[in-house]
Amino acid sequence: MHTVKRYSRLYRVLITQFFKGIMQSKVDFLMGLLGFFLTQFLGIAFLYLVFQQIPELSGWTFKQLVFIYGFAQIPRGLDHLFTDNIWMVAWRLVVSGDFDRYMLRPMNVFFQVIAEKLQPDALGELLVGSILIVMSLRDGIMIVDGFHIAMFVISILAGAVIYTAIKLFFASIAFWVKVSGPFLSTAYELSNFAKYPTEIYAKGIRFVITWIIPFAFVAYLPAGFFLKESVSVSVIGIECILAVVFMAISYVTFYIGIGRYESAGN
Amino acid sequence: MKKFCKIYLPFASNELKRQMSYKGAFYLFILVSLFGSFINYYLWMAIYGSSGKATIGNLTKNEMVIYVFMVYVTSSIVTITLADWVSEDVVKGSVAMNLIKPIDYRLSLMWRASGQMVYRFFVPGIFVWIGMEIYKVKALGMEVVSPVTALLYVVSSFLSFLLYLLFDFCFGMVAFFTTYIFGMLMAKEAMLSFLMGQLIPLSMFPSVAQKVFDFLPFSSMVYTPVMIYLGKYSGSELAFVMGRQVAWVIFLYLLGSLIWKKVTKRLVVLGG
Repeated sequence: MHTVKRYSRLYRVLITQFFKGIMQSKVDFLMGLLGFFLTQFLGIAFLYLVFQQIPELSGWTFKQLVFIYGFAQIPRGLDHLFTDNIWMVAWRLVVSGDFDRYMLRPMNVFFQVIAEKLQPDALGELLVGSILIVMSLRDGIMIVDGFHIAMFVISILAGAVIYTAIKLFFASIAFWVKVSGPFLSTAYELSNFAKYPTEIYAKGIRFVITWIIPFAFVAYLPAGFFLKESVSVSVIGIECILAVVFMAISYVTFYIGIGRYESAGN
Repeated sequence: MKKFCKIYLPFASNELKRQMSYKGAFYLFILVSLFGSFINYYLWMAIYGSSGKATIGNLTKNEMVIYVFMVYVTSSIVTITLADWVSEDVVKGSVAMNLIKPIDYRLSLMWRASGQMVYRFFVPGIFVWIGMEIYKVKALGMEVVSPVTALLYVVSSFLSFLLYLLFDFCFGMVAFFTTYIFGMLMAKEAMLSFLMGQLIPLSMFPSVAQKVFDFLPFSSMVYTPVMIYLGKYSGSELAFVMGRQVAWVIFLYLLGSLIWKKVTKRLVVLGG
């Protein structure tokens, strides 16, 4: 209990520092947000143009795909908001030796890494995701009852954990190869495959994005549960199990990596 | 002329060397950038499958395969961003050094970009291109591209390359007004991928939008060379689209010179 209290107080202190930073550069913040917003909006416009040509895609309507698109943004945005600093581990902190400072403080290292930064750009994803989900609610294409709402929250959290786990795993490779940024971006970009129904892909790709780097479980598969009565709740269950398993693997890898860490000297 | 080459060629060759030295990371980036093309490929296959139509936006299913991968090849040599180099130079203040040297800043950037372009033409451009041609002949049962079309495509792509650079230089001038160009760059990339026809063939847009695109430089950047490659233009139409590319190159060159003059007047660099 005491530790929880201490860590939450520390997190507050670190986050306050961060907000001071944002306030200093409001224009930058707004421009980052605008950039994100535009990217997402064009993604939807693309879908819209495509659906001018066809009534449905592999059994999904335009509105359902818009929901999946929006639903996918929220776990992605949550992870982006809270753990963006993991990218720095992959690209810079290990190779430059700056990782030292995490090792010196008497605190959990993983906690320090993620607490160092909140990424305001992520608000773009969260905002777009929320807007699209509100639109889907208005269109009445979602199944809304207490159970589904609870599952919705759980699924979003599990999805965010899957994102974090994948990022942490590939960032940890930096302890062996010094710079693992390219590996991390490769893995992260795979998430783009999950924007569309996985049925459209070849078997090999489908297998990879479902079980190896399970982005399909972040968006498309659980989204089905909120749209179609026929989809069983077990899909959310599997999502949670995957989240726990992948996070455990990544966390252990991260700690083995720290054991191997050697500073860059001064 | 000899002196000119002696001054500017190192910008190209240095960039080429720089690119070569990060090979490992670069191969992964190629893989990543191909992801997008494969997603598009599968998506289009599914779309043609569910539509039951033979052509969508004037393209047959086979032509769409070529479209998707030639967009990749074209973009890899065309979309080389100067804007972040400008931004870096402005933020670090090293742009001041470039101003006192007896060279043209824009030309030096363009030569640097051409080093990158040459590299990207070989890795991975030409391999994807050849791979696509083999796939086209073996799997789709189509004829191999004619040398004339291939040549016209290369010329048109080179014009696109110049066009994109000159546009990006104008865009990069934003760096003189803000230090955080990342958001702008992202917005630009998103807009361009749409307007250049990277995401979706421009012929699929409503006809009003297509009329507007005719008056913007972006359709000449990627869409035009790819359509030339697909043999969609002939005779006077071909001359017109390529003439339009040349006209845009000239216009953006002049515009860039004008903006550069204005911007450097108000530049303040601290230290140096």
